[in-house]
Amino acid sequence: MSPPPDAKPPLGETAASRRPAPLTLAGQSSLRDRLIARDERALVELIDAATPWLLGLVQGILQDQDEAEEVVLETFRIAWDRIATVGDEHEALMPWLLRIARNRAIDRLRRRARWRRKTERAESLGALGPATAPFSGPDESAHPGWHVHESVHAALRTLPEEQQKVVRLAYFGGLTHSEIAQRLGIPMGTVKTRLRLAFDKLRLALAPIQDWVR
Amino acid sequence: MTPHDWYVENRVAFVARALEASEERLFSDHLPRCEECRREVARLERDLGALPMAATPVAPRPGLTHHLADAILYRRVWWRRAGPAFAAAAAVILAVGFGMRERQQRSTLTSALTDRERELSALRDTLSIWRESQRVVQRDIAMGNHRGGLLIFDDPTTHRWNVVMHGLPAAPADSVYQFWFITRSGMVRSVELRCDANKPAFATLDMPKTPGPVMGAALTVEPAVNHSPEPHGLELAHVQF
Repeated sequence: MSPPPDAKPPLGETAASRRPAPLTLAGQSSLRDRLIARDERALVELIDAATPWLLGLVQGILQDQDEAEEVVLETFRIAWDRIATVGDEHEALMPWLLRIARNRAIDRLRRRARWRRKTERAESLGALGPATAPFSGPDESAHPGWHVHESVHAALRTLPEEQQKVVRLAYFGGLTHSEIAQRLGIPMGTVKTRLRLAFDKLRLALAPIQDWVR
Repeated sequence: MTPHDWYVENRVAFVARALEASEERLFSDHLPRCEECRREVARLERDLGALPMAATPVAPRPGLTHHLADAILYRRVWWRRAGPAFAAAAAVILAVGFGMRERQQRSTLTSALTDRERELSALRDTLSIWRESQRVVQRDIAMGNHRGGLLIFDDPTTHRWNVVMHGLPAAPADSVYQFWFITRSGMVRSVELRCDANKPAFATLDMPKTPGPVMGAALTVEPAVNHSPEPHGLELAHVQF
């Protein structure tokens, strides 16, 4: 996979003149300030940097490229329109965008008439892709946010397999407790317990990258 | 287990969106009322903020990022481009609206001004008569329980009289209050004065075009249908200069 977005630089800007990785903590803070100042270049930079991540997340949930692109567009629209009204000024830009995109995608998923068939397909494909073996390639490590991606996968790998599965279906598949229970053939109480235990562990495991989130 | 324990147990599921639709609504309704749950949900979201980054990034199809930027910024560009046209259209509509309103308002004001000028002119006229009056004659009149009077202001400059009849009831049925000039050549019928107990009657009268000076005036009650040149009814006041 080749993560970099479109080759054409935005608004006549050359690739060399682009600002340093916008998905670092400092980069997100700077982008946020510029977005609040209605800097259109900042929006273009944000789209360039965040689209692959948003698409990956949303497409994993919806299993539909067109719908995923619509959700990503909605997410950037919200970001552009409401950036100044984000409640917690210390919250980083990317987690906020990802949360919007994920919630929108799950809302769509639940509205769909055909969602069952799609989520079955999602499970068979694996929404996260290979959970413990993310794609590799010559450019991935240079991709903005890649270090976070690796850290999260490392955190997920610390979970027992059954908890990973529940997290994958709930968080990245948009399934409810009862749907997961049905899918895995286990009691709903077990699903709830596994999810709670998994998230407790993940909170600890993700603590080292909290600076990226705040 | 208290009812709140359910919310505590399901905070994680709420953040993960694993609750059933009805449960999710219940939790969402609870959040604005519970500071503790709001704080804990916010903390969970923050602690797990990086978790979506586990999703494998997907390279956008060619041109997608430009399309996204255009789609978002186009709205603004469109508004910006259309702005002057909309502004001009709005200005025309407003101008027409204001123009029509202003024309209507001007007509109303002109009419009101004309009325006021007429009233002012009448008042000036009356005032000039009163100011220039060299003789003021007053006669008390009694009619049943009513006590009124007749006032005559004589203006020798304009040769007019300002006549006021006050305190009298409305004229009896089929009758009128009739004002007469007394001249050397006889009585000259003048105006009918209409009043009631609360509303005096005013009249500004030019001198009759009869030879010789006016020597006085009279007020009588005459039949409404009688237009005789001589008074025949009850005399209420008689003034001789």
